[in-house]
Amino acid sequence: MTMIRTLKEFSMSAREKGPKKFAVLAPEDEEFMRAVKISRDMGYIEPVLVGNIRKMEEVAEKVAFNIDTFQKIPQTGEQAISNLGINMLFSGELPIVGKGQIPTSYIYRSIIREEAKAVSGMTVSVVSFWDIPGMDHLVAFTDTGVNIKPGVKAKAEVIKNAVFVYHLIGHPRPKIAVLSGQREIGGTLDSYKDYDILKKSADAGEFGECELVSATSFTDIFLGDKNHRDGITDLKGDGLPHILVVPCLDTGNILCKLDFFLDVTRSSLVATSRGPVCIPSRSDFSDNIVQQIAMCVVLADEMEKGEQ
Amino acid sequence: MLRSFRDILDRASLGGARRLVVPNPKEEDMPLLSEAAAAGLIFPCLVGDGEAIKSMIDESPLSEKEYEVIEENDRQPALNRALEVLNAHDGGIFMQGGIPIQNVLHALHDKTRGMIPKGGIMSFVSVFPPLKGEKLILVTDTYINNHPSVAEKQQILTNALKLARVLGIKVPKVAALAAIEQVNPSIPSTLSAAILSKMSERRQFGDAVVEGPLDIDCALSRAAAERKGVNSIVTGEVDIYLVPEIDTGFLMAEALVFFGKMKTAGVVMGTSKPVILDLAFVSREDRLARIALACLLDGEGGSYG
Repeated sequence: MTMIRTLKEFSMSAREKGPKKFAVLAPEDEEFMRAVKISRDMGYIEPVLVGNIRKMEEVAEKVAFNIDTFQKIPQTGEQAISNLGINMLFSGELPIVGKGQIPTSYIYRSIIREEAKAVSGMTVSVVSFWDIPGMDHLVAFTDTGVNIKPGVKAKAEVIKNAVFVYHLIGHPRPKIAVLSGQREIGGTLDSYKDYDILKKSADAGEFGECELVSATSFTDIFLGDKNHRDGITDLKGDGLPHILVVPCLDTGNILCKLDFFLDVTRSSLVATSRGPVCIPSRSDFSDNIVQQIAMCVVLADEMEKGEQ
Repeated sequence: MLRSFRDILDRASLGGARRLVVPNPKEEDMPLLSEAAAAGLIFPCLVGDGEAIKSMIDESPLSEKEYEVIEENDRQPALNRALEVLNAHDGGIFMQGGIPIQNVLHALHDKTRGMIPKGGIMSFVSVFPPLKGEKLILVTDTYINNHPSVAEKQQILTNALKLARVLGIKVPKVAALAAIEQVNPSIPSTLSAAILSKMSERRQFGDAVVEGPLDIDCALSRAAAERKGVNSIVTGEVDIYLVPEIDTGFLMAEALVFFGKMKTAGVVMGTSKPVILDLAFVSREDRLARIALACLLDGEGGSYG
C-alpha cells in the first residue's frame, strides 16, 4: 500500500479501486443522495439503496439522479434499516456500508451487535481524520463517536483500532498522543492517569508497531520544552502525532468538528472487523460526504486484500 | 460592541492607568509591562526583591515611566503582600508574575487575603478573534474547573456573561456544548446543557439566550443545525461557548490557537478584582490584549465577579 498522506489521495485511489458495492442506509436527504450520485459518477461505488423507496425516489428526482437501475431494498424504521445494512456487511454480501440521514447511534448499536455475534473481540470506535494544509500526514482524532467516557481498557482498544487503520493506509509506525486537559493545577485528571498507563503498554509493544509520545496537550506537542509560543508561527508536520486519542466523547466530538471553524477537512469512519462503515454527520454536505465515501472505498479494498 | 483586540486596547486606554500588582516579576515581564505602561493602561506595582526588580527596570523602558516597588524578599510573602496591596485600594489588577500558578490560585482562595467572594467560584474565560469572524468569541471554562456541576456551570456562565457585557454584547448568545444536540440521559453534558437552557428561558441569566445541548457543528453553522432540525437564533451566531469539562475546554482553547492560528487573551472571572494568569499558549503580542481586557473589567468598579 502506498502511504496515504492527504484526503485527496483517497479520492485519487478510490477511482482505481472502485466501483465497490456500497449499501446506503436511508439516503432520504438531498445532500446524501447528491453525494451518492457524485460517488457513483466518479466510479467509486455501485449503490444499493436501503430505506423508504418513495422518499429515496423523491430526493433522487430533486438532485436529477436516475436510480431506476440500482438495487433498492425497502425497509422502514431507523434501527431496522441499520440492522439490515450492517448485517449485509458482516455476511459478506458487500464490502462497505454508509449511513444517510439517520442518527449514528442506530448504526453503532447494529455494529456492536454484529461484532458480538462474530465474536471478533473488536471494540467499536470512530476515527475522524483531519487533513491540515501544509501537514505531511493525516491526523486522526479517536474515539469521536461511540465511547462516552472510555476507561483505560477501552482506550487501549480504541488505539488498536486506529493503529490498524494507519497500517492499512501505509504508515508502518504511527505516532500516538493520548490527550488530556492536565494543567499545573486541579490535581491529576483521569485522562492523564490513562496516558500514564497507556504509555507503558505502548512501550511494552501491546499496540503493535506504533509509538506513543510523551505529550498530552497541544502545547506539549507544538511547544515541547519551550515555555511560550513566541516566535512559533509554522506547524511542523513531524511533531504532530498521527493519532490523537481523546479523553471522552464530548471532547472528541467537539474537537474533531472544529473543521466548521478551521482550515481543515474532516473525514470519519468506523473500521469494523468486516469492513469500513461510512458515517458522515447528519450536518455534513455532499462534497464532504463524497470524500468520506472515497476513503471507505480505499480502506475496503485494503481490508479485502488482507483477507485474501 | 468591541469586535477585536484592537478595540479592546483602544477602549481600555481611555480609562487611564490602573494599578497592576505583580509579585516576584520576571525579567521577561518587563517588555510587556513597559509596553502596557507606555500605552497608558497600567501603573505597575512590583512586589519582591527590590534590588533585583530595580535592576530589571533600569534595563527596560519602564525606567522612564511611573512605577512602584515594594520590598518583600521571599516568594510567598511577596504573593501575600501583593494581595494585601490590592485589597487596600479600590480597583487594581493582579498579574501572576514569577509565582507558580497553583500558589496564586491557592492564595486567591485565602479567607483573609483572598479575592473570591463568598459562594462564588473562579473560572477562566478565553477570548478569541476568529480569523474569518466579525466579532470576538468567548470560550469557558478553559483552565480552572475540572468537572463542574450544574450549579458550578451556572456560575461559570454568569462569570462569562459579565465579561461579554463588558465587551458590549448586550444579549449574549450562548452555546452549552455537548457531544450531541439531543438530550441523552447517558451523556451528562447534554443534561446540564438542557438545564442551563431552560434556566435561560426563564430569564435566570437576564438578557442572554442559552441554547443547549448543542454539538459544535450546530453551534458553528446555522445551515448544519437546520439540517439536524435545530432551529435557534444562537446557531451560527454564538458569542459564548460553554464547554462541558476541562479536557474539552483546555484542549479546545489550544486547538483554536495551534490549528486555527488564532490570537487569544483570557482572564480569571469570579474574583473581586481582575486576575491575569500566564498560560504557555498565549503569545507575547497577545499578552498586551490580556492586560487591556483586565483593565476593562477594572473599569467596571471591581464588582464584576
